[in-house]
Amino acid sequence: MNAVSTSLDAPAALSVRPGFAEVAAEQLDAVYRYLVFLTGDRSAAEDLAAETFEKAFRTWRRFDPRRGTPRTWLCRIARTVAIDWFRAETRRRRREETYARELAAAVDDAVFGDALSAPLEHALRELSPAEREVVALRVLLELDGPSAARVLGISQTACSTRLSRALRRLEERIGDVRE
Amino acid sequence: MSASDVIGIERLEALLRGDAPRTEAESARRELLSQLRGAALRAPEALRERVLTAAPARRHVAVRMPSRRLALIVLPAALGLAVAAALVHGFVGSGGKTVSHGGVAVPTVLRAKAQQLPAFGVAAGSGAAVPSATAPEQQLAPAVGSGGRLQHAEASLQVRVPDVNRLSTATGAATRIATSLGGYAQSVVYRTPQSGGGASYIELRVPAQNVRTAIARLAALGTLVSQQVSVQDLQHDFAVESAQIAQLRRTVAALTKALRNPALPEAQRVLLQIKLAETKRALSQRLHARTGTVASGTTARISLVLSTQKSIVPVAHHRGRLGRMLHGAVGFLGLEGTIVLYALIVLSPPAALAALVWGLARLRRRRDERRLLTA
Repeated sequence: MNAVSTSLDAPAALSVRPGFAEVAAEQLDAVYRYLVFLTGDRSAAEDLAAETFEKAFRTWRRFDPRRGTPRTWLCRIARTVAIDWFRAETRRRRREETYARELAAAVDDAVFGDALSAPLEHALRELSPAEREVVALRVLLELDGPSAARVLGISQTACSTRLSRALRRLEERIGDVRE
Repeated sequence: MSASDVIGIERLEALLRGDAPRTEAESARRELLSQLRGAALRAPEALRERVLTAAPARRHVAVRMPSRRLALIVLPAALGLAVAAALVHGFVGSGGKTVSHGGVAVPTVLRAKAQQLPAFGVAAGSGAAVPSATAPEQQLAPAVGSGGRLQHAEASLQVRVPDVNRLSTATGAATRIATSLGGYAQSVVYRTPQSGGGASYIELRVPAQNVRTAIARLAALGTLVSQQVSVQDLQHDFAVESAQIAQLRRTVAALTKALRNPALPEAQRVLLQIKLAETKRALSQRLHARTGTVASGTTARISLVLSTQKSIVPVAHHRGRLGRMLHGAVGFLGLEGTIVLYALIVLSPPAALAALVWGLARLRRRRDERRLLTA
C-alpha cells in the first residue's frame, strides 16, 4: 500500500497552512515515485525531485491550500520540471544519437519498484511516459480523478480513459511476457 | 478480445476506491492495482537529506489572496471610487450658494404672531377679496429683492382662516395675487378632511421685485401665524460662473484649434478629444448653473400654507442643490464611462493580439508535451 501519509492531502487541511518542511517530509516519497514512473529513470527522478522541491520552496508563498492539496501542487511542479528534462533529453539524444534512458533501464533491472514482479517491471517499461504517469498519479499516489486531471492538464474523462488504456496495456504486456 | 476489455471506466473507478471485484477480469485488474501499489518505492536517503535540509521548518502564516477573490474586491472598489468621485465632483460643481462660491446668505427669520405684527394687521375674517397692501405694510414687510443685485428670495407664510369656506376663497385669492404680480402658482394642494378643518399648500413664484408686495398681500388673507423669509445674494455666484464660462470657452476654442492639426499624433489626439469632451461637458454644466442662478435671482419662491387649524405643519423649501449635485454626478459618471470606453478601444487590439499569441503558445506547448510523453 501507499506508505506516504495522506494527512496533508485531505481538503480538511484547507484552513491551516502547513509548513514547507512538513509538506516536504510527507510528500517526498510520492513525488519521487511519480517522477520515477514518469521518466523511467531513478537517477533522473532523484535529481528532478530535488529540483522540484527547490522550485516548490521558492514558490511556496504562492501555494494556496484552498485551491488544492500539497500533493497535487507538488505533482504539477514535478511535471513541469520533468517535461523540461524530457526536452533536454530529446535534444541530447538527437546530438548523441543514443538512448541513455534505455541504457539506464537496461543497467538497473528494478526501476519502478523493488517489490514488483519482473513481468510487471518489464511491462511498465513498455508503456509510454504519459501512460505510466497516469498510473502513478491514480494508483500509486491515489489522487482522485479531478486532481489527476488537473495535474495532467486534461479533462477528467480523458484522464480516466488514459488510465483504463494504460492498465489494459499493462495486462496485455504481462500476459505476453508470461507466455 | 481480452476479458479486461469489458471493465468500464465506472467499474475501474470503483476498483480504485476499493470496491470488491464482480468478475474474473475485475479480480485480475484489482490484483494488478495491488501489485503496483506494493512497489515499495521510497526516496533514497541522500535525496531525503538533500531536500529536507534545504527546507526550513518555518511556517508561513500569510495566505496569498487568490486573484479571483482579489478581483471581487478590486472591481467593486473601483466602481465605488468612480461613483464617489462623481458625487464629489457633482457636489463641488453644484454651485453651492453659500459655500462653494462664497455667496452671501442673508437669512431673515421673522416669526411672530399676527397680534404682534400690527403692520399685517388684517383681522381674521377680513374678507375673501384680494387684499391690497398699503404703503406702510410694504415698508414693514422684510426688505427683499432690493439693491439692484441678483438675489434669491424664499418665503414661507402660514396663515390661519376661520373656516373651510374662507379657506377655499383664500386659496383662490392667493393664486390671483401671484398672477396679478406677474407670477404664477406652481402647485396647489387643497385638503378638507371629513374630520373637519382643512388646509391649502400653495407654491407660488413671483418676480423678485414684487416679492414684498406679494408677502404683504398674502399675509392679509387671514391671521398670520408665522412668517419666514430668507434672502441669498447670488451676484458673486453669477460673476464666478461667468468667469468660468469665459475660461471654458477659451479652452474649447484652443482644443478645437489643436485638433485641426493633421500632424497631431493619434495618441495625443485621443487625449485632446477626451479633454475637449470634458471641457464641453463642464461648459454645459456651468451654462446650466448660470441660467439657474439668473432664474433663481429673478424669481422669488413663496410657500403659503392656509389652514383652519392652529397647528400647521411647516413646509420645507425645495432644495435645488441636491438636484444639481446629482446632475453633475451623472455627467461625471458619463465622462468616466467615456474614458473607459476610449481606453478599451485603444487597448483592445493589442490585448486581443496578446491573448492570441498566448493561446497559440499554450497550444504548441501542450502539443509538444504530448509528443514528448507519448514517445
